[in-house]
Amino acid sequence: MMNLAMLKPGEKGRIAKIGAIGPLRRRLMDMGVLVGEEITVEKIAPLGDPIEITVKNYNLSLRKKEAEGILLEATR
Amino acid sequence: MMMPNAARTLAAVETASIRVAVAGNPNSGKSTLINSLAGTRLHVGNWPGVTVEKKEATLDHRGRSIALIDLPGTYSLSPYTEEEIIARDFLVHDRPDVIVDVVDATNLERNLYLTVQLLELGIPVVVALNIYDEAEKKGYKIDVRAMEIALGVKVVPTVATRKTGMGDLLEAVTGATAKGSRNVPRSLNYGEDIEAAVQKLTADVARRHPALAEKYPERWLALKLVEGDHHVLAEANLSDADSLAKDAVGHLKEAHGEDLESLMADARYSLAAGLTREVLKRPAVKTTELTEKIDRVVLNRFLGIPIFLAAMWLVFKLTFDMSKPFVDWLDGTINGPFTRWVETLMGFLHGPEWLVSLVTKGVIGGVGFVLVFVPVIFAMMFFITFLEGSGYMARAAFVMDRAMHSMGLHGKSFIPMLLGFGCNVPAIYATRTLENPRDKALTALLIPLMSCGARLPVYVLFTGAFFSAQAGMVLWSLYVMGIVLAVLVGVLFKRTLFRGESPVFIMELPPYRMPSGRSLAIHTWEKGKHFLVKAGTYILSVSVLVWFLLNLPWGVENKKDSFLGKAGSAIAPVFAPLGFGNWEASSSLIAGVIAKEIVVGTMGEIYVKEIEKKPEGPAPTFFEDLREIGTSFAASGKEAFSNVFSTFGIASLKAEEKEGRATLRSVIGKTFTPLSGYAFMVFVLLYMPCVVTAVAFRHEFGTWKWFGVAFVYQTVLAWSAAFVIYQGGKLLGFGG
Repeated sequence: MMNLAMLKPGEKGRIAKIGAIGPLRRRLMDMGVLVGEEITVEKIAPLGDPIEITVKNYNLSLRKKEAEGILLEATR
Repeated sequence: MMMPNAARTLAAVETASIRVAVAGNPNSGKSTLINSLAGTRLHVGNWPGVTVEKKEATLDHRGRSIALIDLPGTYSLSPYTEEEIIARDFLVHDRPDVIVDVVDATNLERNLYLTVQLLELGIPVVVALNIYDEAEKKGYKIDVRAMEIALGVKVVPTVATRKTGMGDLLEAVTGATAKGSRNVPRSLNYGEDIEAAVQKLTADVARRHPALAEKYPERWLALKLVEGDHHVLAEANLSDADSLAKDAVGHLKEAHGEDLESLMADARYSLAAGLTREVLKRPAVKTTELTEKIDRVVLNRFLGIPIFLAAMWLVFKLTFDMSKPFVDWLDGTINGPFTRWVETLMGFLHGPEWLVSLVTKGVIGGVGFVLVFVPVIFAMMFFITFLEGSGYMARAAFVMDRAMHSMGLHGKSFIPMLLGFGCNVPAIYATRTLENPRDKALTALLIPLMSCGARLPVYVLFTGAFFSAQAGMVLWSLYVMGIVLAVLVGVLFKRTLFRGESPVFIMELPPYRMPSGRSLAIHTWEKGKHFLVKAGTYILSVSVLVWFLLNLPWGVENKKDSFLGKAGSAIAPVFAPLGFGNWEASSSLIAGVIAKEIVVGTMGEIYVKEIEKKPEGPAPTFFEDLREIGTSFAASGKEAFSNVFSTFGIASLKAEEKEGRATLRSVIGKTFTPLSGYAFMVFVLLYMPCVVTAVAFRHEFGTWKWFGVAFVYQTVLAWSAAFVIYQGGKLLGFGG
């Protein structure tokens, strides 16, 4: 299955499942990273990590490690 | 008959001050809004027991007193971050009269997610629809009236940066507390399943735990029980297994799975999304925004890091070079004319010689010592506030996170560490940009390993005495040693003191905005004032203490017999294995605790007994002094300006060779060997941070704990490093 860390800049997907648990999961949800939400990868930091995404019409950055736990339905 | 009574009650209500909590997302312009409302009446402190800033202000609106309390910026009221717990504890237990919810009009949905949670508390809410101008510019059409109806509360469009809507906002606040106010937050419908559970829980709580029903807003408590909020469960002494919640949410869990917390977050976001759809019309075509254009360059794969480094060079330069002439001016004025006036005055009053010395050297010296930090603190605070307010700080963290994360740090740790090379004191204060307490503490602990400007005179003296041929190399090796040790210590601490998951990095990249001048001024002033008052007292006492150490017993001819000399002799054996076990070196190191550059001054006093007194001309008159102070201040301003624009190097890092140093250098050349001299420099680089840094630690963390940790590890590290270098060097045949 695709996860968020696998997308290249400019690609988008719809969130199918959030693998994280506990505080991290809640934190992601509080920031609007919810199942069913469309998410676009905007940029990857110059050193390769973290990544910048757009969700709910605003920009968010997170590390690849966290992004790997966000599974996507591939829509491109 | 009823009239007078009713009137009296009304009057009583109306004269009492209204307590207003200001809540909102980070980057919603909440800070600017508070500044616009409060201006100079703002009081900045800390929330009890934590390092989170607390701002308060009292103001009058139409004869009513309004007490504003600024809550930490949060995205939610979940129980996971310090900020969120502070905000909700205040709202639930201190029950303000009104909540002003600052909502970013350009980012409605995510901001309304917090609004939905605030409405649950049963406290009147006023929504400040902030950054309204930007939303309009983007072509957003927000139906304010529809929003008011949907939420049941007053919604006021505001532009905090231009003070627009502030009067309306205060009007709405007083209106919300007035008798018969229609400001009743609507209970938003979470859907059949959840509402049924909430209803059952409300009834059960009222029946079985009447004390809890008193203590908490009932609907809020029921919602928290559905969520299984561990903070509330623990506080209310309800275990998870309590049959209360189990009955009510049992069928919810059957229908939706175990994770009710996510279910609730989902439900709240659906409400926020629904509201947004109802009230907001966005233009069909999305234009490329300025932020996007800037980020294309600033976060570019190839340009990102060079731009970041250039920006940092500029910040460093501006902070230290711009303040340096003013620091020198303050220093000169206090130690020159001002001290002279006091001496004259005290001589006139026939003050005893020791008292004159205590006042001029101990007290005035101490005050001067505090004051010289003020320009740097002001400058640092100004630029940090600018970086944060403009939105670049988040980009800096984004660019640097990978590198810093390997040390167990956060992307935002880079800037405080960098400032450490100028002076550790503002650097410690700059750790306030790190939200997570763990990141903040670890960053602060590593800052003292960044070789600050005050250590440079020591290096200059010793490299001048021993390594003039390879001076650059030797200097460079010391700076690099500090950085390498910081990396090693960082990794070590990450595995020991700070074991466990490193905090997650989930950070908003807010749109670029021009911070308002008022906000910049208020933050800069507040910090500077705080430093003067709080840090000033500590530093002054230490300065007086050191005066006593140096000058008692009164009239000592030989510095060796002073208390400082005796203390130096006592600890000298400890330094013997490091190659500098004499009282002169150890006394200088003790005095250097005030500030590391004092090591050089003390050595001068001790080694060069007869400091050649320059024949002084007649002392300048009072008016000549005043004129001199004025002209030199003007010259400082000019120099500050030219430092910024003309030189490419970093002026504040150039240590000047002072007169009389040549003698000291030759004495050093005889009492130290190149090897013990190098070990001494390494020791000065690494040993305990100076008193001012200690005070900054205490000040920023509200406890001595972290300074204690720094003190212990640095002392051990400094001794071990100098030991390895000296003994290792001897073994390798570099001579003793």
